[in-house]
Amino acid sequence: MTAKSNAEVTKELFVPAYLSDTESEKISGKSVSAWKDALRRFLTNKGAMLSMIILTVIILLALIGPHIFGYDIDNQDVSRANLPPKIEGLTWLPAFSGYENGVDIYKEKNISKNYWFGTDQFGRDLWTRTWKGTQISLIIALIATLADVLIGVVYGGVSGYFGGAVDNALQRILEVIAGIPSLVWIILLILIMQPGLITITIAILATSWLSMARIVRGEMLKLKNQEFVLASRTLGAGDGRIIFKHLIPNSLGMIIINTMFSVPNAIFFEAFLSFIGLGIRQPQASLGSLINDGYQMLQIHPYQTLYPGIIISLLLICFNIMGDGLRDAFDPKLRR
Amino acid sequence: MIRYILKRVGYMIVTFYVVITLTFLAMKMLPGTPFKFANRLSPEQLNQLKHYYGLDQPIPIQYLHYLWNFIHGNLGGSFQYGMQPVTEFLFQRFPISLQLGFESMIFGTVLGIFLGIVSGIYRGRFLDWGTVTLAVVFISIPSFIFAAILQYFFSVQIRIFPVIGWSGPMTHVLPVVSIGVGVMATIARFMRTEMVEVLNQDYIVTAQAKGLSTNAVIFRHAIRNAMIPIVTVIGPLTSAVVTGSLVIENIFAIPGIGSQFVDAIVTNDYPMIMGTTELYAGLFIVTILIVDVLYGVIDPRIRVSGGKSI
Repeated sequence: MTAKSNAEVTKELFVPAYLSDTESEKISGKSVSAWKDALRRFLTNKGAMLSMIILTVIILLALIGPHIFGYDIDNQDVSRANLPPKIEGLTWLPAFSGYENGVDIYKEKNISKNYWFGTDQFGRDLWTRTWKGTQISLIIALIATLADVLIGVVYGGVSGYFGGAVDNALQRILEVIAGIPSLVWIILLILIMQPGLITITIAILATSWLSMARIVRGEMLKLKNQEFVLASRTLGAGDGRIIFKHLIPNSLGMIIINTMFSVPNAIFFEAFLSFIGLGIRQPQASLGSLINDGYQMLQIHPYQTLYPGIIISLLLICFNIMGDGLRDAFDPKLRR
Repeated sequence: MIRYILKRVGYMIVTFYVVITLTFLAMKMLPGTPFKFANRLSPEQLNQLKHYYGLDQPIPIQYLHYLWNFIHGNLGGSFQYGMQPVTEFLFQRFPISLQLGFESMIFGTVLGIFLGIVSGIYRGRFLDWGTVTLAVVFISIPSFIFAAILQYFFSVQIRIFPVIGWSGPMTHVLPVVSIGVGVMATIARFMRTEMVEVLNQDYIVTAQAKGLSTNAVIFRHAIRNAMIPIVTVIGPLTSAVVTGSLVIENIFAIPGIGSQFVDAIVTNDYPMIMGTTELYAGLFIVTILIVDVLYGVIDPRIRVSGGKSI
């Protein structure tokens, strides 16, 4: 319309628009649940996303890596001992040239095959051993998660939900267990049993759930007296239903965050024990024991320590950054 | 306050008693016999030996015996070093580990507090981003990898510091830095969080409103208040430093308790392992007690609720 017709707007043209109350109270736009909100915050966190990508790559390589060259973890051949890393397409990079101190070791030893991470003093392929070792670290991560969820959540849940005498007894026990440092627990366990993956597993199962139990208990104490629990109980829900349908889902954010922080701890402890010779035994390899083996050769063949060292550092850094990201996502109040 | 301290001391004694009992039980559950040539000895000789060491008595009696010896400071003799008393070794080597631990703690705490303050003040800027990133990296990388890197570059390549040993100030640098960076990163993160929190408080606005300079606000009001909760991380950090010192002492051949401990484990020197375990446990438990009491003294809210803050 033109400006002229605008001038013809008269008072009678204005009529009140009647909107029913139900319409006006309607919320336009999609409802965003707490979970969707957390997911959105997590996805926009660049550091956490990058960590997730790196972790995925490491996990894939740990699964595929040991099978690429068809070597076994204990395939020894002294004629190819202590070869530096060499990758065909990347020989222009000094790290993967197959040269050591200016000498082409591959030519010297007359070896045509490439060893991507080099070989150790027994001629074992370090690429295969490193990724096998990464598998161990990932298994430990899985075990720590299970311990947290199966023992920590249940212990803390029972203690916090039932309260009273049960809570008092469980908390006193927890206090004594937590009063003894995990290092002491683990060493006592290793003394009784033989060092190895099973012992480390038991040691981590025994010690990693403590902080989770405390946190879940705190959440339970906070949540159990809230109205929605009372409502559920009024409707006849039993203890089991209230715990598993109401209390645990509501504390799931805290549980996930805490798991993400106990995983790097467990990975570190396994590597630490293997490094001081209490963990995985030869010919099995874990990242810690590989670093220990390579460490003896650090001055002559630094590459033998380098790659396991890089991978375990990446694993720990990525888990920690992801943990930070999840904490910010689930509990933006904590973000500072 | 006195009731609170007594309660904590009570818990401490119970925990320590449990540790002693557990080490005793672990010792009893060990496979094999403590005698090296048990299969070559006649049953009579074996019985004689068992009688000599009191091993023929029932376990409860042995247990009481063990407790009695423990109270009198007798932890048995080291298998590895011709039955020399374990306590002697511990007294000899513990001061070195203690020194390493203290130096690392001081290095980490001073640097960490400084970095945390700077990071908290310049929140969101490049300096802050750098500190936070560095802190995550240093918290994550295990101390033995850090030690290997430092040793390779500073001792093997550039040769500024000696590779191993514990004799002059120069030999202290690399071990202390290797353990200390983890402490530094933890404290820096914690301090930054506290600093940001404190700077958002109303009393800071009040201080600014009454005309104090930025420096005065930061030094007199913000830093002092932000530093109080640092006490709480000292407990967990002690445990991290002890864990770190175990490997670091081995890597740098420092004659402390950590390297002794690893040796003892590898050679199955049980009395030594037990003695060191008990010493570590005692160290942790006393540290946690001191931290709890100290925090109760600084922050009266804690002792009213009478327990852990989180």
